[in-house]
Amino acid sequence: MSDAESGGDPHDARNEETVESDEFEPVQVFPESEEMDLRPGSDDCYKCSTCDSVCPVAEVDDEFPGPKFQGPEQWRLKRKDDRDIDDSVMSCSNCMRCDSSCPSDVPLSQMHNTARGQFVQEQMEKLSQEYLRNRILANYRFFAELGSKVPRLTNFLMGNVVVQSVNEKLLGITSEREFPEFADETFREWWTNRGGAKIESDEKRVAYFHGCYSNYNTPEVGKSLVRLFEYFGYEVLVPPQKCSGTPMFANGMLADARRAAETNVSEFAAAIEEGADVIASCTSCSMSLRQEYPELFDFEGTASVAAQTYEAVEYLRLHEDLAAELERAEVEDADFAYHAPCHARNQGLAGQAVEMMDLLGGASAEDVGESCSGISGTYGWKAEKYDTSMEIGAEMFDHMEDAEAETGMTECPTCAMQMEHGTGYEIRHPLEVMAEALVE
Amino acid sequence: MAIEDDVLVVGGGLAGMTAALAAAREGADVRLLSHKDSTLRSASGLVDVLGYDSAGTLLADPFDAIADLPESHPYRQASVGESGVREGLALFDEVVGESYRGGHTDRNALVSTHGGTVKPTARYPASAAAGVASDDREVLLVGFETVTDFDAPLAADHLRAAGVPFEVEGVTVPFPGDFRADAARTRLADALDANERLEVGGNRPAVSTTLPARKALAEAVTDHLGSAERVGFPALLGQHETEAIRADLETELGAAVFEVPMGSPSLPGMRLEGKFRKACREAGVRFTTGNPVVDFEEDEESGSGVIGAVRVDRNGAAIPFHADQFVLATGGLVGKGVDSDRNGVEEPIFDCHVPHPSDRYDWFADEAFGDHPFARFGVKADDDLRPLDRGEEVEFDNLRAAGAVLGGCDFAAEKSGSGVSLATGLAAGRSAAREVTK
Amino acid sequence: MTDTEVLVVGGGSTGCGVARDLAMRGVDVTLVEKGNLTNGTTGRMHGLLHSGGRYAVSDRASAEECIEENRVLRDIAGHCVEMTGGQFVQLEGDPDEYFEEKLEGCRECGIPAEVLTGEAAREEEPYLTKDVKRAIRVPDGAIDPFRLCVANAASAQQHGARIETHAEVTDVLVDDGGTAESGRRVRGLEVRHTSGPGKREHRQPGETEEITAEHVVNATGAWAGQIGEMAGVDVEVRPSKGAMVVMNCRQVDTVVNRCRPKGDADIVVPHETTAILGTTDVEVEDPEDYPEEQWEVDLMIDELSRLVPILDEARTVRSFWGVRPLYEPPEMGTTDPTDITRDFFLLDHADRDGLADFTSIVGGKFTTYRMMAEKISDHVCDKLGVSAECRTADVPLPGSEDFSVLRDYMDEFGLRSPIGRRSVQRLGSRADDVLDTDGPNPVLCDCEAVTRAEVQDAIDQSGTDLNAVRIRTRASMGNCQGGFCCHRMAAELHPEYDEPQAREALDELFQERWKGERHALWGEQLSQAALNYALHATTMNRDRDPADREDAISFEEFDSGASASKGDESKTSETKEARHGD
Repeated sequence: MSDAESGGDPHDARNEETVESDEFEPVQVFPESEEMDLRPGSDDCYKCSTCDSVCPVAEVDDEFPGPKFQGPEQWRLKRKDDRDIDDSVMSCSNCMRCDSSCPSDVPLSQMHNTARGQFVQEQMEKLSQEYLRNRILANYRFFAELGSKVPRLTNFLMGNVVVQSVNEKLLGITSEREFPEFADETFREWWTNRGGAKIESDEKRVAYFHGCYSNYNTPEVGKSLVRLFEYFGYEVLVPPQKCSGTPMFANGMLADARRAAETNVSEFAAAIEEGADVIASCTSCSMSLRQEYPELFDFEGTASVAAQTYEAVEYLRLHEDLAAELERAEVEDADFAYHAPCHARNQGLAGQAVEMMDLLGGASAEDVGESCSGISGTYGWKAEKYDTSMEIGAEMFDHMEDAEAETGMTECPTCAMQMEHGTGYEIRHPLEVMAEALVE
Repeated sequence: MAIEDDVLVVGGGLAGMTAALAAAREGADVRLLSHKDSTLRSASGLVDVLGYDSAGTLLADPFDAIADLPESHPYRQASVGESGVREGLALFDEVVGESYRGGHTDRNALVSTHGGTVKPTARYPASAAAGVASDDREVLLVGFETVTDFDAPLAADHLRAAGVPFEVEGVTVPFPGDFRADAARTRLADALDANERLEVGGNRPAVSTTLPARKALAEAVTDHLGSAERVGFPALLGQHETEAIRADLETELGAAVFEVPMGSPSLPGMRLEGKFRKACREAGVRFTTGNPVVDFEEDEESGSGVIGAVRVDRNGAAIPFHADQFVLATGGLVGKGVDSDRNGVEEPIFDCHVPHPSDRYDWFADEAFGDHPFARFGVKADDDLRPLDRGEEVEFDNLRAAGAVLGGCDFAAEKSGSGVSLATGLAAGRSAAREVTK
Repeated sequence: MTDTEVLVVGGGSTGCGVARDLAMRGVDVTLVEKGNLTNGTTGRMHGLLHSGGRYAVSDRASAEECIEENRVLRDIAGHCVEMTGGQFVQLEGDPDEYFEEKLEGCRECGIPAEVLTGEAAREEEPYLTKDVKRAIRVPDGAIDPFRLCVANAASAQQHGARIETHAEVTDVLVDDGGTAESGRRVRGLEVRHTSGPGKREHRQPGETEEITAEHVVNATGAWAGQIGEMAGVDVEVRPSKGAMVVMNCRQVDTVVNRCRPKGDADIVVPHETTAILGTTDVEVEDPEDYPEEQWEVDLMIDELSRLVPILDEARTVRSFWGVRPLYEPPEMGTTDPTDITRDFFLLDHADRDGLADFTSIVGGKFTTYRMMAEKISDHVCDKLGVSAECRTADVPLPGSEDFSVLRDYMDEFGLRSPIGRRSVQRLGSRADDVLDTDGPNPVLCDCEAVTRAEVQDAIDQSGTDLNAVRIRTRASMGNCQGGFCCHRMAAELHPEYDEPQAREALDELFQERWKGERHALWGEQLSQAALNYALHATTMNRDRDPADREDAISFEEFDSGASASKGDESKTSETKEARHGD
């Protein structure tokens, strides 16, 4: 696998700007051999089961006993030498709704992430199909980078029935879903081609964490963000970066996540040193930088990156009079059925898009309810989880159908995938709509 | 540039949502900030107003007794009073519509609990209506082997010991389908919501077949029905389709079907939360959830005694939310609106004074169900529900408190939790809104 | 003919140990205990299986006994013991000389001892303070006194003993026809059963029974003076209370001792899923009526958080007190209870007081209970003329017979892996019998992972006494302190026992849980208590249970629901409007 590393044209902008490609080899998780003891986290649990009542997986799959057992109870029962983790931890989709529900502040997703990491490290067969598949899904960026070098061929191949069937049979990746298409020009290619930032400013500077999806699959979102921030007079930096780690946490691939996080923290901490705040367009990426990094890692700069990372629209709301701008603007036929991604909910952003769309002349957004979309990143891609994923999503699909709008809206690329998959609607990102309204 | 509203409500439980709704209906721009899910999901979904007076006497009419409550009781504040309690209930009735009963009379209903007792309450879910204890029709209680919080035969014997005016039997059956013993309560509810096809006939493949969940459940019960005219199940008859599930079961069984309210996680509590949230949304309340309010800023112009903004902590960043008026509805000790350590008790956001004995060994009674001082912990407020400091002066001109963060009553002993939340939520929300709209 | 050969009073570790020992020698034994097993001091200790290290400076004879018995218990009671290892930790400023003395003492007593650098000590126990200078590692362990005691009683029963709990001694029967010079002897006891003989059943009327015996053993520890008084002899026990604070979870996995000369609050013992902080040492008058004080709780936390700083922030779930049955011959006159020896004394009342066929046992410590029981049994057998040898050091206790059973139970019984693991850790080799059930086996106590099958097994042993179920299973001993499981446990009594019995058993358990939880009421545990109170009072209305009322409820005065249907809207609005007009 390592032949693929840096195999491209040395003048390729990607190779200059991104850090060297991710390695992909069997790993020793927890190379520092520091084991995390999360038993004290159980001190906060008063057993109310609110977390179980919001868990979208436990609601449809009794193999998963719910976050309370999986988190504070399982941890509390551990003695030092008890290493076994119940295998049901792999059924958790890492939507993190338990985190935002717990009235008592139990670090549930941290417990799940850590337990999952230990399970994968110590109990999962490293040559199993499940391990390989999860490793591949978790390292989407690696494959995306390859794929986007020859986007048309990849798109053709991934849409190929034979390939899909091989994926399902050999890898356990469901053939029910269409692989996301790779853009002909990645965001970073576009960025390089346009000559980088158009505005320079010492006062207003942001560093953009675009994540994999905006780079390889939906560069329009990234471009919209750049236009919007430049409209408000910001200098946009696009530092080198790796995957945020979200799919790796969800699959217990903590060593992969650690490597990616280390690079991201050091690059973005450097940007912060230069006076920038960090913004992201994907709510799972911002979640990762804000919450999971400080919960799981301790690099220098982790805390400052967590405190200074914002979701892009949130940032504009706090620092600009975005409301007034939106009220002055006008768009046509912009009615949306909006789904708040779980990870946006966890950051306190669940109501934001609806509020913003309601301000924008000609636009409206209807919240399609609090249910989870069910895909949870890589979860819904697993053949054995596909049905569960669609059952979880059923409530959202119904509400989308009920809503008047015929276009969907969300901040999360994989939720968007699920929304499109379940309803056939086109799905927009709020940044795209705002950029169209304000910048054009 | 900052986020600014007329009224900002901190806390997303019944009191907070009632306050937000009341304020929005007065024409104010309202935002509700909540950190986590509220205790509604742990509560039974019954709406108690006042079940016992201070002497522990069972009350058939809660309103009669309000005037006799101690002056420190939230019901006794001038902006609340009996009329405030009634208005709170009227707002409640409007929000929940046909999904609740009890509004036709002032009298309390005695509703069966999952512990086998009955308790006085003012409003009960329609799904529990057929189970009230002053109805003399014969009852069959049905429990499930794996739903360990409700033992139906024991509850039936207990009700008999309480002298209920009806015949009652209990039976334990397996929940149909091949669910694991620790399946979440929401999983069973979801199977009934979706009317999934479930395996019946147990582990004998020859007789195993599948049936829609509701029919399968009815079949599991029908042999035990006898002459019962009412059948009670633990409250897990769906999260969304409760009425349809009940109707289907009633048709299959030829008897009235009701739910016995349960503790956490409580499906009726979740349904109630959904109804209030929807009503708030429809009234234009904006919800910002997921991060804690940790602190506040004083108003720059008015200075001390007036709150300008609250600060929400988001992974180390402090994000201000500005408003003219604030409502504190963060709950009591359970909801974490009141916190304590070995040395004292506090209200953590605004540091409002929480009266309490200085010796923590005076916070409790020695009997488990004794007269616990801790049960009355909370802020003390003036007639307009504004928290008072140690010297009985108003802490902040533009802060009101609602719900369990208010001290002065033991809602568990007197059965008044939801009533206090509704009445004070309404009073605080309305009063706050009138300050900005006047 | 007497009813039994030997009558043992006291269902703690000593009494149960004596009953087992004698029964295994073929002696006919009856044991009476006024509460449930472990009701006295045994159920109120921190669960330390001594390596002997604690006594290695002050009392080497005790230290040597401890290490010997430590090894025996690992063999015969494997399912009650967790060999955690222990550390004697020296902080900066603690005396070097004492550390050296401790080390030398351990070596001389045959206690394996190894010096750890501060860094190594913290590597083993990461929550130890940075101020650790060095530590001595010793083979301390944790032992569950409840299950150990219950296993001794079960073994005694298997060998034909009669075990009567909830049977309080109301009189010691003294005859004048004895062999002693005075001519007086103890011929038996009068006991009052709080329910019938056999398993406890709530609401069963009590009765009095005279039990005669050839010899009576007073193994009531701190209560020995009271039994002595009934027999007309002085037993100068000097009960000394000690406070213990239970943490919600384990901050340490090895026993952590502060290495300095004796003092309060110097040990943290990992016990099952919790950690227990101990302790104080204050002489009290009455072993049942003494103040349980706030300063003791605060002292534990403040002092031990210097050793393990996280304790200051960590959640405590309850505190409890035990009374040591300290004894010293009256002429010693020691004033400070910490100076009284931990050694045990066998008082032969025939020699001492001219009262034949009566022996008291006082002093001593839990770790050496078996050795004490052996010596008492030797003494009694000598009196009875029984020549059988003691076998208790060689024959494993029920549950510890076969260690190959400590395997993977998860798939076999359909339990999630940590639940299966905990069940097997508690049940030992009995797991097979207990967990193999037909019906579904849901977890009743989520905190401690106790299933219905295990609770049912305990009820089979102990009847309606849910505190006896609790000590066998740990159900209701976790963070919610029973708030979420007491009623589930009580429900398991029904229908074998009737509803009023189940209700009374529930009330008793709930009150017992509250008793200890009161000492932890701040922060998380106060929030927990408020939630438990709300669940039991608000949701279940157990505080005003209509079944407990004297008078009948007038159900007809309440809403019958009859007019609550949709068709009755008119009445609804009428009522409201009429009221609004008020």
